[in-house]
Amino acid sequence: MRVYDLMDRDVVFCFPDDSVADVVRMMKANQFRPVVVVHESGEVWGLVSRLAVIRFYGQDLSRIRAEDVMRPYRIEIDPQWPIETAIELMKKTRHEHLIIVDPHAGPRRPIGILSSFNIVQYMSGIETGHFEQLLKMPSEWSTADPE
Amino acid sequence: MEERVLRLMRKGAITCGEETSTREVAQIMMVNATHYCVVINRQREVVGIISSRSILKAFGSDLDRTRAGDILVPYTFTITPSTALKEAIQLMDRRKIEHLIVVSDRPGSKAILGLLHVEDIVDRMAEG
Repeated sequence: MRVYDLMDRDVVFCFPDDSVADVVRMMKANQFRPVVVVHESGEVWGLVSRLAVIRFYGQDLSRIRAEDVMRPYRIEIDPQWPIETAIELMKKTRHEHLIIVDPHAGPRRPIGILSSFNIVQYMSGIETGHFEQLLKMPSEWSTADPE
Repeated sequence: MEERVLRLMRKGAITCGEETSTREVAQIMMVNATHYCVVINRQREVVGIISSRSILKAFGSDLDRTRAGDILVPYTFTITPSTALKEAIQLMDRRKIEHLIVVSDRPGSKAILGLLHVEDIVDRMAEG
């Protein structure tokens, strides 16, 4: 299996000058995923995690910029890497998320995110289709129930 | 008035036993769509917590032979519903933990009441 097969393809991104107020709204609107900070050229600059923003709880978030809370990101992951290589890298660097860049679309353009939760899915041995079926079952039952 | 954990905590938790295999823990997390699993002993007391990161660290070992008890992060600190929310957030930040286990206010109690999740704090911040 390749990184491309497992990564989330929806990358949530913001610019360095965006406020943390905007960043938390983006997180909320996108299942609380981390937000990738990109330069105006579209190049990956950093990553804002959920733990990075909560330390500003109770403060005026409109005055804090994404650039001030992001963790600079310098690792380049090719989507064609075997998943095992990416897992070993996550273990070694202690990153919860790896940003996948397109090797053919200019410098460091983000095309996906590989999270530790994607790895849990891989290690659980549950295939994506089967997993979705399991999640759907309760709602189907409730629809089928006349009461 | 100072905000307390009670305001944002979720009651109940996804749990497994110490003897559960790592693969089963991963399956429990997937099926319940959660990024954690609380490990409890036979007395239903909290022993530790397993996060996605704990599962990731077990990569390379035999997932059917390694047990929850081998990979858990021991639960050595407590928050209760009456803990100040700011104090709980500082604890999350300091220990880099996205889920804190909430136990009863009763002294020495290890019975689990629920969890405080980082998502719920971000959600609250997004509301302004």
